[in-house]
Amino acid sequence: MILLSPTALRVAPGEFPARVRERFAGELRRAGSFAQLCLLGAQACLDAAGTQGSLGLLFASRLGALRAVRSALTEGLRRGEPAMPFTFIAMQPHLAGALLAQRGYAVRRAVHLHFAQESWPLALRSAQGWLGECARVLLGWVEESESDEIAHHSDWCLLQKEPAAGSVRCTPEESPEAGAPATAEDWIERVAAWRVAPRGALVLRGDEEAWRFALEG
Amino acid sequence: MSAAFVRAAALASALGPDLETALGRLRGGEPLAPARNTPAGGAWPFFAIPMGSGNWAGRASAIAQTVAEALRQAAGLSRDDWAALPCLVGSSSYSVGAWDEGGEPALQRPLEFCSMLAQRFGVRGPVIMVNTACTSGLGALDLALGLIAAGRCRDALVIGVELANRLTVAGFAGLELLSATRGRPCDRARDGLVLGEALAAVLVSARSGRWRIASLASGIDAAGLTGPAPSGQVILDTMRAALTRAHWTRKSVDLLKLQAGGAPLADLAEARAIRELFAAAPQSVSLKGALGHTLGASGPAELALLLGSLDRGRVPDTWGFATPDEELGLAPSGGEAAGVIRVLFNLSGFGGSVMSLALERTKPR
Repeated sequence: MILLSPTALRVAPGEFPARVRERFAGELRRAGSFAQLCLLGAQACLDAAGTQGSLGLLFASRLGALRAVRSALTEGLRRGEPAMPFTFIAMQPHLAGALLAQRGYAVRRAVHLHFAQESWPLALRSAQGWLGECARVLLGWVEESESDEIAHHSDWCLLQKEPAAGSVRCTPEESPEAGAPATAEDWIERVAAWRVAPRGALVLRGDEEAWRFALEG
Repeated sequence: MSAAFVRAAALASALGPDLETALGRLRGGEPLAPARNTPAGGAWPFFAIPMGSGNWAGRASAIAQTVAEALRQAAGLSRDDWAALPCLVGSSSYSVGAWDEGGEPALQRPLEFCSMLAQRFGVRGPVIMVNTACTSGLGALDLALGLIAAGRCRDALVIGVELANRLTVAGFAGLELLSATRGRPCDRARDGLVLGEALAAVLVSARSGRWRIASLASGIDAAGLTGPAPSGQVILDTMRAALTRAHWTRKSVDLLKLQAGGAPLADLAEARAIRELFAAAPQSVSLKGALGHTLGASGPAELALLLGSLDRGRVPDTWGFATPDEELGLAPSGGEAAGVIRVLFNLSGFGGSVMSLALERTKPR
């Protein structure tokens, strides 16, 4: 499996609205902040990788759109107001797939997951399983910051079967203990950092499974 | 896809705390009227699980325990195989209802709620929460099939759960999607959805089972974020993909489980897709008049109820359907299930998520 354009996007909460306006020119008016954050990172990855073929979108987070849910609960529902569309159930993350499709990408499937930090290889495996149906799969980790002092995270990479220039080949490692421990929220960032100045292969471990990342060719 | 089967299923719903009670009610009883003036539903009709009146978390735990015990008995797995099960949970609201009583401190993170469910079921494999809005339960099933196909497990526990909370009802009310009276799937007088609670569990297995999962196809309908394109094109494409992957022709389908829940435009879009695909629509059924729309739980919940009914020889009646709508051209009907071998199971939801599951009976009744 080939990995392209690992992208670790960090945005200070105070700068986030301007970054969204700059990239999408107000097109995302109806999307909540979590969906916007997903899209900002996914789009950065796609901008770097180029776009072609059908797309799957598989991403995970620790909190999801909990901030929006809290806001709807504490500010709206308590006053007896109807909940605003797209905040009232945990559907906001799922909107990212539809929003990408509305921007012209051939999105075939999309799913948002929560799992334990060490279970990140499960997402990689699941994405690999989608590559029969989708030409490419966007795999991401998105976390909306709960504090103004901490940046939002929107980390993404693109997976496909075919090798490409400058791409990274990822394969399951036969000896999991050889890998450095990684988590759901840092593995893409670590691949992105390694990709800038690769020295040998990078082997990362989660659960009882490790994956090897090596420059293609 | 590699072979996978539905090995066992269990359900707590408005029809009763267990699947047997629900099937008895569905088979013989008068259609259930949704409750009024519940804490979650407010003035809107609401299908609540008739279990417990303790605090939200305690009630959720008790419902989970009941369903877990029923599934464990039906599954027939060894103690070790059961304990090793991965737990995939589909939900759109997880424990948001706890906020109604306990406020902010009661609101759990999504994975904490799923871990509580896994504990109640007594399983210790990886816990994964899946969110694809109203198709979350089938999304969890999809992920489970991927794990089985990749050889990561032989069996997987799939849970769909949606429990009472004011926020969901307020949201649907705000979008003017609710009926003030009852759900009338495919009926000329349909005027909206009635929401419901359910906690359903399905054991998916690479071992044998009464129903083989022949395929599961997904699509994204970006036309609107809260409803399908009026043409039903993505629903059509998704049903076609499910048939192709199952190596079925459209004539193979004996029964179509509709998404239809009584929403005027969404029912129409699905009907258009069905008319386009099938020269003559196969026998069809909707379960949302009986269960309510149980959102993220609806996949496992409707699957448990439908397969349970078929295994007992009946295609369930579609509660709430009385007068056909000529524009839809669909007339769901119940009856004997002896000839039902292949079932196409539709589901769709907010965010444009569309899924179609092909199921094939492996053993004669």
